[in-house]
Amino acid sequence: MKPLFEKILVANRSEIAVRVMSACRTLGIPCVAVYSDADRKSKHRYYADEAAYIGLSSPRESYLDIEKIINTAKETGCDAIHPGYGFLAENPILAQRCVDENITFIGPSSEAIKLLGNKVESRVKMANAGIPLIPGMKDSSADIDQYRKTADEAGYPVIIKAAAGGGGKGMRVVSSVDELEDALDSARREALNAFNDDTVYLEKYIVNPRHIEFQILADTHGNTVHVFERECSIQRRHQKIIEETPSVALDDDLRVRMGADAVKVAQTADYTNAGTVEFLLDESGKYYFLEMNTRIQVEHPVTEMVTGVDLVVEQIRIAAGQKLSEQFKNLTQRGHAIECRIYAEDGDNNFMPSTGTILHYSEPVGPGVRADSGIAAGMEITIDYDPIMSKLIVHAPNRELAIKKMIDSLNAYKILGVKTSKKFMIDVMSHPEFKAGHTYTSFIEKHMADRQLDLTAYRTIAVAAASVAAHTAHGAKAFNGVKSDGAMPSPWQTIGSWQIGDSIHE
Amino acid sequence: MSSYEFLFDGDTVTSSVEMTDETYRVKIDDEEMELRQVSDNLFSVFIKGKRILIAAARDRNGTTYVDIDSALIELKEPSDDVFGEAGGEEGEKDKVFAPMPGKIVKLLVEVGDKVSEKQQLVIVEAMKMENPVLCRANGTVKAINFAVGDQVDSDSPIIELDIPE
Repeated sequence: MKPLFEKILVANRSEIAVRVMSACRTLGIPCVAVYSDADRKSKHRYYADEAAYIGLSSPRESYLDIEKIINTAKETGCDAIHPGYGFLAENPILAQRCVDENITFIGPSSEAIKLLGNKVESRVKMANAGIPLIPGMKDSSADIDQYRKTADEAGYPVIIKAAAGGGGKGMRVVSSVDELEDALDSARREALNAFNDDTVYLEKYIVNPRHIEFQILADTHGNTVHVFERECSIQRRHQKIIEETPSVALDDDLRVRMGADAVKVAQTADYTNAGTVEFLLDESGKYYFLEMNTRIQVEHPVTEMVTGVDLVVEQIRIAAGQKLSEQFKNLTQRGHAIECRIYAEDGDNNFMPSTGTILHYSEPVGPGVRADSGIAAGMEITIDYDPIMSKLIVHAPNRELAIKKMIDSLNAYKILGVKTSKKFMIDVMSHPEFKAGHTYTSFIEKHMADRQLDLTAYRTIAVAAASVAAHTAHGAKAFNGVKSDGAMPSPWQTIGSWQIGDSIHE
Repeated sequence: MSSYEFLFDGDTVTSSVEMTDETYRVKIDDEEMELRQVSDNLFSVFIKGKRILIAAARDRNGTTYVDIDSALIELKEPSDDVFGEAGGEEGEKDKVFAPMPGKIVKLLVEVGDKVSEKQQLVIVEAMKMENPVLCRANGTVKAINFAVGDQVDSDSPIIELDIPE
């Protein structure tokens, strides 16, 4: 069979570039990597069939330079570009430039990206299509009665937010009409002090919200399906760190309704290719449309684990004009999958970014364990890019076993040289509230704020390990010429996540 | 047998290492344990009835990085040079450094301001994220050496403080 494309240029770096390239391999399509100065030693450069240098480390000089990407695609004979996520993935200009140059953009149309990128315009369009939005005011008002009316319609509790807002300044949660006027006054004062702008607006306050999103696939023949939900409520600084599917908060009825609305959102936007419809879900099972992301998401692998669908392969097929296959007619969710994002950041110190050289890198392996990684030993983690290094994904028959498998796999996942949040994420997943499925977007601030890490318990074992590391490094000296680097063939590395077996049979 | 010294939590800890039957027998104080190397930088050890996998590797500057049950520990040898440490060590609380090279996006204090421990002083953007730099002592802002938009490394103090004795 003739491959779908001659050659695909992957306009991204690190783990997602590698992930897209592996999908190209699956389809028998050669792929081209692009790399900047900072990525000369990076994994994605050497993973591709070909690699092209595109400029300086600063993203503007390389990964964000549309003309450089287009020219590189032409020079290397690529007839398609996959943008990954981030960088140019949601840039309508690249999508349009691809059309101009007769290159296939593996993603939605420029028009759909433009519409959904405009959050105000797309919300109006979705509201008109009957998609639920968080009730509230579209504008601020000088008239207290306007706030009262909106609050009555939305139902208490409501929240007042500063238009120029951020960081909780000028924000007030109001639980009844008696508190409204005072709260408005003080929110305005606070907003004025903080932002020199006392404009405030009011919307419904969502109690214990969860972040639920639906994976969408839409072909160019008018078929749109959802590939179930992902729950991504565990966030730090509004950035997801742990994602899972299925969500414990959805029953079959709610899943059907949210899924149908997600499909309707995509259809309303004339959407094609892979996308994600994000909702906020409240305690009572009411949900509200937030936005639609017009790219493959970081957390797409959890969907792949429970459905068996290769979403990136589907993206490429759709872009090549193929119809969605029969498998989407009766797709089911099998078991439970969790993803942990491995960032170069210090989970024990306010998630401070961490840079350095990767001294050691080894992945856990085993049934249902997947590492999507952009790093390797010897690679430098620099300040130039987003600190995501890899993602660890596990799949197990149920949530409880998936949590255990993830904890074991994180412990067997060894990355030395930079800080990570592995321990932090283990503490999250070991928390009784996480195990109980009480995963709300406030989880980390609520349950992890007082987290203390006591390393003193590791004193002896840490020094022992360091001593042996020093000993093996100095082996020749310590043993009068007897080599002691212990590089014997070992089952441990090949069966990395061996602890999993124990857990499953517990 | 060889002996080694590492700093842990400010203390110097001494160990002795002996290789027997392809395992490393390590003695620290009164404790003894056996580590078995399973591949480069990876060791298995049996503690409290559980076998765990440990990773340990030294970098070029002599710092050893250890991962035990996902706790990441960095150990230095007592003779290690600690100057030039990002953020400065104890005794340099009057100087505020960026935790890593980056761009100053916000200065939250002015010269003359009274500041207190843990207060946010400046926001440095690196790796697409804004990182607050916290004050490590109570005092007064004496000097601000950079402006918003400036690139900073982690060796030059952004802010200098007067700290009362």
